[in-house]
Amino acid sequence: MGFMKRAGLYCIRQRFKTFILFLLLTLIAAFMLTGIAIRNAAKGAAADVQTAIGGKILLDVDTDGHMGDGQPNQWGGMDYSYNGDYITQEIVDAIKTVNGVVDYNVEEAAGYYGAGVNFKYLPSSLGLSYTPYGESSSYTVTLSSEKCKAFQSGKYKLVEGRHITANDKYTCLISKELADYNKLSVGAKIKMYSLDADGISDNSDGISEFEIIGIFDGTEGSSGNAMLADEIPANCGYVDYGGVEDIFKDNDGDDGYSQLSIYVEDPVSIQNVYDKISALPELKGKTLKLTIDTEEYDVVSTPLDSLQTLMNTILIIISAASIVILTLLLTIWIRGRKKEIGILQSIGKNRAAIILQIFTETFIVAVISFAASIPFSNMIAQKTGAYLLSGIGAETTSLNVQIDAAYLLPLYIIGILIIAVSVIASSWSVIHSKPKDILVKMS
Amino acid sequence: MSIIKTCNIKYSYDRKRIVLNNISVEFDLGKIYAILGPSGCGKTTLLSLLGGLDSPSDGQVLFQGEDIEKKGLAWHRKNNVAFIFQSYNLIDYMTPAENVALTSKLPPLPVLERLGLTKEESRRNILKLSGGQQQRVAIARAVASDAGVILADEPTGNLDESTAIEITNILKECAHSMNKCVIVVTHSTELAKNADVVLKLMKGGLYAWK
Repeated sequence: MGFMKRAGLYCIRQRFKTFILFLLLTLIAAFMLTGIAIRNAAKGAAADVQTAIGGKILLDVDTDGHMGDGQPNQWGGMDYSYNGDYITQEIVDAIKTVNGVVDYNVEEAAGYYGAGVNFKYLPSSLGLSYTPYGESSSYTVTLSSEKCKAFQSGKYKLVEGRHITANDKYTCLISKELADYNKLSVGAKIKMYSLDADGISDNSDGISEFEIIGIFDGTEGSSGNAMLADEIPANCGYVDYGGVEDIFKDNDGDDGYSQLSIYVEDPVSIQNVYDKISALPELKGKTLKLTIDTEEYDVVSTPLDSLQTLMNTILIIISAASIVILTLLLTIWIRGRKKEIGILQSIGKNRAAIILQIFTETFIVAVISFAASIPFSNMIAQKTGAYLLSGIGAETTSLNVQIDAAYLLPLYIIGILIIAVSVIASSWSVIHSKPKDILVKMS
Repeated sequence: MSIIKTCNIKYSYDRKRIVLNNISVEFDLGKIYAILGPSGCGKTTLLSLLGGLDSPSDGQVLFQGEDIEKKGLAWHRKNNVAFIFQSYNLIDYMTPAENVALTSKLPPLPVLERLGLTKEESRRNILKLSGGQQQRVAIARAVASDAGVILADEPTGNLDESTAIEITNILKECAHSMNKCVIVVTHSTELAKNADVVLKLMKGGLYAWK
């Protein structure tokens, strides 16, 4: 009779032990599968984020050493203004031709300050009124609001209307909180008095009208105890580049963009694209600086990376704990099987055949347990994944945790290793006893 | 030529207490040997050395002229010898038939039937059999193994008188009808009387008695 048949007979005849082993291995497999599923889901989500965000290169004006000598202002201080090069349309056109560049955007944070003429901002604690229309708040000036950091990272979501595009002029996005506060909706027009009205044409009263084309949420609960209106995120919105350019068209020296986000098709080849842009003759000698921006990807992927690391650690802990628990259980059972091992040795079964029998007994139960753990794991994986993700501060990232049939392969490989280590460790002392000693003691 | 023999074997516990001292003895096929001696004199140790359950401190055990260590003790136990123990040593989660099948590829039922177990008894839980029936299963396992040498350690020690006689007769049949070499360690005078050769182990030496 071979070891396989002996193992099968043991599993069938020792039903209670088989059942206990089945429960233990199902539990181990469920934890393992959950760990593997969450880790792979985090890995997949990180890859999706990288694909969705893509690579981004930033071209900014280099203000270091290019802020001029300064002009005395009315308060006795000095006003400095940038006197270097701006990102001209010629430069933008040259960048667009670089292989690998798929798009570009302008995202000038606080590029426009406006006080509400026909609406009010959410009040700040100081409530300063330094314009004829009260306090002003800042707006991000952009060619495409959809590509702006806050929307890319999922912090803000458009809940009504549409995003700002490069063809828009005098349009804006405002927060849902501000819209609700002023009972404004998509299509409404708001008037703003520019804080920089003194830089606008003498013929202008500094007031511009913007159409609300979209409303976003994500600012809720983040106002805190702000001292100024523009420190309240709900007061800060987005305006199109075309309108702002038109407002400041007579302003001397501002001939182009001060910042340009360049989107790269393949994040992996971003360095290559960066090198090509750096080498453009249109950029040679210009006071502009080029950097690779990974901020958005880092914001979203860091919690996912943390989750992967956490799951790898948990898998190692589960494996080690499984080996210890399984070894203890098998050690107790194998001590009870000393006589059987002695008998098998006395009839000429070698140590390898006896260890293989014990391994096979455990493996037979494991095959059934691992398969049985799938529905159980499915139930707990989704909830555990969401719980862990929120625990490490990634509420904005969704995680699709599913038990895939492909996960059974690593589960069986890890499972077989755990069983092998446990069986060898637990049977070592008994197997290495002399058969005579075992049988004499048993007699 | 003898089937199994010992050449100047010595055995001691912790190299201090000598149990077997320079024992050389030969065993032939077709005979039943009884080894007698007081408790603790080394009878079971001698049997263990013949069966490859242990190795001598010195000397050799030869099976058909070849040192049993050469092919390995497990190989020797599997192919050359079969054990019968006082406490039967059957595997309790297997039926009698399955216990016999451990050592034999032949159908176990005819062997068990020949030793007096019915088909129903052969498929029963081993623990539900009487002591005599369990010992018959142990003998069946030894016989079915096709080994030339059967080593029996107090095979009738746990049995009543009438069952002990039956077992003794079966062992005689194994030696005389099946041409096996049966070596029995025993305290039983009845079994010793039925042996072809009686050896006595005393103070580390083995002496012919009959």
